[in-house]
Amino acid sequence: MDGNEQERQCWRCGSTNIRGGPVCPHCEAPQPLPPGSDLFTVLGLPRKLVLDTDDLERRYHAGARALHPDRHQTAEPRARELSERASAVLNRAYRTLRDPVARGRYWLELHGSPLHVDNKEVPAALAADVFETQEQLEDLRTSPTPERHAEVRRVRDALAARLRGLKDDLSGLYAGANGDGLLGELKRRLSEIAYLRTLLGDIDSALGDECGADSRH
Amino acid sequence: MERIVGIDLGTTNSLVAVLETDGPRVLTEPETGARLLPSAVAFLPGGEVVVGRRARELAPDHPFEAILSVKRFMGLGFEHVSDDDRRRYRFVDQRAGAVRFAVGDRAVTPPEVSAHILRELKRWAEHALGGPVTKAVITVPAYFNDSQRQATKDAGRLAGLEVLRLVNEPTAAALAYGLDKREEGTIAVYDLGGGTFDISVLKLRAGVFEVLATNGDTRLGGDDLDARLAEVVLAELPPELAGRPSVRARARAAAERAKLALSDQAQTEVALDLPEIGRQARAAITRHDFEHLVRDIVTRTVAPCRQVLKDAGVEAREVQEVVAVGGSTRVPFVRRQIAEIFGRPALVDIDPDEVVALGAGIQAGILSGGRRDMLLLDVVPLSLGIETMGGVFTRLIDRNTTIPATVKETFTTAVDSQTSVDVHVLQGERELAADNRSLARFKIPIAALPAGVPRLEVTFLVDANGILSVTAADMRTGLERSVEVKPSYGLTEEEMERMLEESIDHAEDDVRQRQLREARVEADVILAATRQSLATHGPVLVPGEGDAIGAAVAGLEAARSGEDYVQIRDAIDALSRATEPFARRVMDESLREALASRRLEEL
Repeated sequence: MDGNEQERQCWRCGSTNIRGGPVCPHCEAPQPLPPGSDLFTVLGLPRKLVLDTDDLERRYHAGARALHPDRHQTAEPRARELSERASAVLNRAYRTLRDPVARGRYWLELHGSPLHVDNKEVPAALAADVFETQEQLEDLRTSPTPERHAEVRRVRDALAARLRGLKDDLSGLYAGANGDGLLGELKRRLSEIAYLRTLLGDIDSALGDECGADSRH
Repeated sequence: MERIVGIDLGTTNSLVAVLETDGPRVLTEPETGARLLPSAVAFLPGGEVVVGRRARELAPDHPFEAILSVKRFMGLGFEHVSDDDRRRYRFVDQRAGAVRFAVGDRAVTPPEVSAHILRELKRWAEHALGGPVTKAVITVPAYFNDSQRQATKDAGRLAGLEVLRLVNEPTAAALAYGLDKREEGTIAVYDLGGGTFDISVLKLRAGVFEVLATNGDTRLGGDDLDARLAEVVLAELPPELAGRPSVRARARAAAERAKLALSDQAQTEVALDLPEIGRQARAAITRHDFEHLVRDIVTRTVAPCRQVLKDAGVEAREVQEVVAVGGSTRVPFVRRQIAEIFGRPALVDIDPDEVVALGAGIQAGILSGGRRDMLLLDVVPLSLGIETMGGVFTRLIDRNTTIPATVKETFTTAVDSQTSVDVHVLQGERELAADNRSLARFKIPIAALPAGVPRLEVTFLVDANGILSVTAADMRTGLERSVEVKPSYGLTEEEMERMLEESIDHAEDDVRQRQLREARVEADVILAATRQSLATHGPVLVPGEGDAIGAAVAGLEAARSGEDYVQIRDAIDALSRATEPFARRVMDESLREALASRRLEEL
């Protein structure tokens, strides 16, 4: 399952049998990604939702050590360019697969059923809470009182706990993942997570809890 | 093989270091052994440019011509310059492009000013390493945006240095510490420099330094503490005097001394002497007063620290070490603030003034293949995106994404027969394009077709330096399209070319100035020695010799008052030749006398 079994040739030293590795084992030149690569294969992983995060990090570090532009600084332009492009893909692969939510979303994309962030449809499981929270936020905006503030804060904590729960439950879904119902179930859960995140962001800005990310303004 | 050097191009001081087999080493000024080069550049009338300590000393008398914190202006446009800074320096009033200082009758950009500092460090390094130095790693604040990074790279190029990598200062500091202690785990680096503040959280594992998140403020630093303290003593003066740039420059220098004193003692005095107008101003200040005075400035570092922990997904108590970097972290109040945020005292094992340069030296070693066990994985500090319909900022690459990072975006046309697509690239965290920092505008040519038919794939790549590049490909033809870049606050390629030519002229100029100064000193020495000899050994002169020497002395004096060092050298040689027989006789006579006196003693 190492992605690409077919024989390829190193563009620099011409040696054959370099397999699907990120760099040529003989001259260390970064290689173009084999056709059909995805974020799993660039890390040498099988396409599976369940993965071991320590193993993931080890693979990422090994790949980065081989591919990072720092390693090819003195090489010719083509090697530098390939190192840059391949490193960027490797970085994205690690960041995506490390986070169970991002991994799930990527899984949906990979299976031709991407989740749209601007999904205006409120997930059924959240409808009641969302409606109530929006009202409370509106009240807080129009006439802020300490009581309303405290109430919104309580709601915020409850929703945050629910978000954590949903995320934790993903690993259970991934472990038992197989069969046809998976995509639909995954999509349902991820849209709930996405919606909760947006809602929590709204609450935080209403509460003024935002840490100034860009304090230069 | 030519050595790659690591340079800390700081707001207040700059350093150069190199990696040796036993670790990184700071290279020093050949004449004095100094390790720190004050980041000061003075443009004197007549075209002479002075760098370093002397330039800083010139600041009180030449407040507009001596530029002390050029780093604050890197990558900025005129409209970004604060009112305070507009009072402090003179700028060319202009609407577009990089800000320009008006010094004398010249206009210079921040990269040109920084290039003078880099050239001096290059000289130090070449002297210390005994060969040419043309490749460098330069550090930048982690929170520097694309324009500020590009400006730093431009400065290197103007100084004759190929900038192989820009390294974030806190990351460089972590490298220096990691090499020292071989740590594993999560560390934070709190870097309060002269003009910028950075906070980074890194994960160290098996030689890989992975930056999890970074935050900061590029307009916050030790300079701000000095400015606040300077106001205390300026308040003792009448307003018309306190408003004078030369007085303000002196007050800032006095404030800096007082700040340093307050790190060790409970109270001191900000003492401002103005001898030319016969005035003095003194203000006693206790450490407690000082802390009260700067509390709001130091507190501004708290929000970025909270945000960086949140972005890194790390709790404060999970941070195993906090490294303090930058001279301002010597201030006890700053140390207490760090301890309060992270629940532990800051680590200060390595000199906070040198740690960044040492890390830059290590990174230079990594690039030259000398340290294959270490690897740095850094992030982009601010989100990158484009302006879309209705002036909205659409993020393409989120802040704290590991670099290199790339994203592809497809564009099409809105009207029939449109022949180009305009892309406006910005950086920042705000929702509206206008609230973020404009980086560049790109015009991408496209075949004239009905609206919506052309498909243009634009690739945005942030390289390992945190600098963005853009390529475009026509998806119908698969052909790569050239992208015409118009940097919003940077230097265009033509400007760079012109400056490079000028800088070569100036490099020759600088060498000429140095030669002239040296020749004059030598002329003074030989003139004084000749006069001395003539006065004591006049009787030894043979007829006609006095006149010949007198003519040679007059010739040298005339040459010395001129600007041509070659002429001075020639006149020095002429005088040496004219005095040579005389000098030999003087020597013989002295020798005879010495021998005679010895014989007398022996008898």
